[in-house]
Amino acid sequence: MTTRREQRLAQTFVTLSDTLVDDFDVLDFLTLLAERATTLLEVTAAGVILSDQRGGWHPTAASTEDAHLLQLLATQTHEGPCQDSITTSAPVTSSDLSTEHARWPTFSEAAVSAGFHTAAAVPMRLRRQTIGALTLLDTTPAAVDTNGVQLGQALADQATVGLLHHRALRREETLSEQLQATLHHRVVIEQAKGILAEAGNLTMQQAFQLLREHARVHDRHLTDLANSLTNRTTQPADLLTARPDPTPHNQE
Amino acid sequence: MSQDRRTVLMSRLENRLDAADGTASRMGVLCALTVEQLAVSGAGATVLASLADGDGQDPSRGLVHATNEVSTGLEDLQLTVGEGPCLDAFVTGGPVLVADLTDSHTRWPGFTPGALALGAAAVFSFPLHIGAARLGSLDVYHDRPGKLSDTQISDALILADLATHAVVTELEGHASGDAGWLADPHAEIHQATGMIQAQLNTTTEVALLRLRAHAYTHALPLIDVARRVTDRQLRFTDEPDDDQQDTPA
Repeated sequence: MTTRREQRLAQTFVTLSDTLVDDFDVLDFLTLLAERATTLLEVTAAGVILSDQRGGWHPTAASTEDAHLLQLLATQTHEGPCQDSITTSAPVTSSDLSTEHARWPTFSEAAVSAGFHTAAAVPMRLRRQTIGALTLLDTTPAAVDTNGVQLGQALADQATVGLLHHRALRREETLSEQLQATLHHRVVIEQAKGILAEAGNLTMQQAFQLLREHARVHDRHLTDLANSLTNRTTQPADLLTARPDPTPHNQE
Repeated sequence: MSQDRRTVLMSRLENRLDAADGTASRMGVLCALTVEQLAVSGAGATVLASLADGDGQDPSRGLVHATNEVSTGLEDLQLTVGEGPCLDAFVTGGPVLVADLTDSHTRWPGFTPGALALGAAAVFSFPLHIGAARLGSLDVYHDRPGKLSDTQISDALILADLATHAVVTELEGHASGDAGWLADPHAEIHQATGMIQAQLNTTTEVALLRLRAHAYTHALPLIDVARRVTDRQLRFTDEPDDDQQDTPA
């Protein structure tokens, strides 16, 4: 591991821990974690999926809200490295997705056509249960190495801690309450993205960035802002007119 | 835990409805099935009565069905004191699981003594919603304290999906498909709902119902219609039968 990587690693865990101190927004936290995973592990994309506790899995946060990436993450809720890592409760890697047709017929085809070359997934574990997974996708042939997998597992563990820690200071809540609330808020965010995308003629990715930036600048929770758009106490114009820069911009 | 569980519970619900032969409401049968599956003392379902394109005012709640008088009493109590598990479930967005009500005096000083007096020792509330589209709640109680197991929670969540689907189809006025669309991991249905909400300047509930109505009328899978909306090939207008299509279907 390079020194630069070690520095970034230390920085990431400090940032994540800082986020965990106060009353924080789980979905903002998981998105930050996915973003940091791409930088730290030098991969193109990362995504978190969570169990719906009734047999299904849902993409919950991603390093970018690119439609193709989200589609691919949804595909792998049925089949792929992420499913395998959930089933085995262990990391799963592939150094060449184009040779994985037998293992993951649908996922490998979708991932390759989206331009990805390698994939890795690590489980989010809590005691006996696997509650989700962190998936890493890369467009270059360099596979995620053993160090990378360990680091990925550390990040996945952080994601689990984040889920459980949320509101822990207010009262004891169970895992189910947290997981289900997080999945629910993800749906509200998708609905709010739709409202903004329509009102401002934005892509879904731009809509998410606007939502997140506005929440950050105005010190609001991402999910509260999304809620207020859907129940119309906040108008899309409130976000659209306040936009500092009309061109689409990338993270941060 | 698997997708099979959903199939099992769906067929149990249909079997019970067939056995009732039209003499019981779907929600009533669902509450009875919930009591049996979760081995609890009682269950009640409420829907938010006002789903019309209103002014965003607090919607009134209406009890649809309860399996016994304690369940009815618990619903009434929450309305009277203005606090309790199903109201909290809407705030948190997730289920509210209280295995021992005697721990809840601080959380719900008004609700807790009344609920204990009614005979409830544990209460579990599951919101019926699709994101911001709030439809109601499925509430169960038990006469002695104790947690729900992982399997019971899984069953309860599936039963809440079935109840959500039942409320939606009730509003639609016709049976259309099963509750499987609620488990779809693709985000387009929700994104399209948001876009339609902005197109019509309406509530999330109304937007979702319009999306589903279009899929039903044109006999198309919901996800396909949603993708036409997010691809901006389909727009909705104020006239229900006049959805604008930029390109031929």
